[in-house]
Amino acid sequence: MDSTASPEPVVPIPVKIVIAGGFGVGKTTAVGAISEIPVLSTEASITEVAAAIDRTGHTPAKTQTTVALDFGRITIDEEIKLYLFGTPGQDRFGFMWRDLVEGAFGALVIVDTRRLDDCYPAVDYFEKIGLPFVVAVNLFDGQLDHKLDDVRWALAIPDRVPVVTIDARVRRSVRDALVILLRRALEDLVPEEPKAEERPRAGARHAE
Amino acid sequence: MAGPEGDVTTVEPARLPPYVLTGGRARPVDERLEIEALVVATPVGRGERARLQFEPGDIVSLCREPHAIVEVAALLGLQLGVTRVLVGDLVATGHLSVSRPAWQAGRKAEIIERVIRGLDSIT
Repeated sequence: MDSTASPEPVVPIPVKIVIAGGFGVGKTTAVGAISEIPVLSTEASITEVAAAIDRTGHTPAKTQTTVALDFGRITIDEEIKLYLFGTPGQDRFGFMWRDLVEGAFGALVIVDTRRLDDCYPAVDYFEKIGLPFVVAVNLFDGQLDHKLDDVRWALAIPDRVPVVTIDARVRRSVRDALVILLRRALEDLVPEEPKAEERPRAGARHAE
Repeated sequence: MAGPEGDVTTVEPARLPPYVLTGGRARPVDERLEIEALVVATPVGRGERARLQFEPGDIVSLCREPHAIVEVAALLGLQLGVTRVLVGDLVATGHLSVSRPAWQAGRKAEIIERVIRGLDSIT
C-alpha cells in the first residue's frame, strides 16, 4: 500500500446484521454462503447467573461460560463494511445478545420447520426490543414442509414482519433475504411515508 | 484484499487465563465499544509499534489495515472481551483510531440504501 499521500488510512464504517435461530438451523451456513472471508470464530465469554439457587447458599452462583461467535464480512463499497453475526444458539445467552444486537440494522431469524419452537426466543427478543427482523424458513433438501402462513400463525408473527423461504447454502438466496430485511429496516426509519410500491396493508402499521 | 487472514478460520485461544492480559479488567475503558467497531493503527501507533509488547503489539501490527474488534479477536486467537479491553486501552493511548457505527446514526437511511445496492450487485 502506498501511504505517502495520506498518512492515515481511511477507516470504513462498520455496519451489522444479526443471523439468529435455533441450534443447527443453518446460521453459520448462511453467513458462509455470502461472506467474502471464510467464516471466522471467536470465543466470547458471558457471565451467567445460575438459575437455580444453591441449596447451601442464598446468592445465585455466577459462572463464566464461553460461547463461539461466528461471523463473516461483506465489503459493500470503499466506505462501508457489513458484518454478519451468527448468534450463539441458546436463549440463555441473552446477555451476549444485547452486545450483539446493539446498533444492528436488523436480524434474520432462520427457522427449521421441523423444530419451529427453537426460533421462538429470537422472535420474542427482537419483538420486545423493536429490532426489525425477517423470518426465513430454511429449505432443507429444497422442501417446504409447512406453508409460510402456517409458520407465521404458529409463531404469532405480526403482519409487518416478512416471512420468506431461504436456502442457507445459496448466496443469492441469503442475499435476497438480507435485502428484504434492509427494506423492512428502511420502512421503520421513515414510517410516515412508506414507499408506494412497498406500502403495507392498511392498518397493519398501526395495529398496535 | 490479501489480508493476514489467509485461510485460517480459527486460532487456538491464548493459554493464559484470559483476563490476565488486561490486569483483571473485564470492561473496556469505553463501555460501549462495539464488537464491530473498526480500528486502525494511528501514526503514533505505527511509530511506537516496536515499544509495544505482546498482545498490544500484535494488535497494532495487525491493525496496519483496518479490522473490526471481533476480527482482531479471531485472527489473534484472543477472547472477544479481552480484545475489547486491550483495544479500548490502545485507543485511549492514541495508538489506534476507531470508526464506530454509532457516529453515523444520522446517515442510517443513506447507509442502508447503499448496503442494499451493494448486496444487489452480488451474484
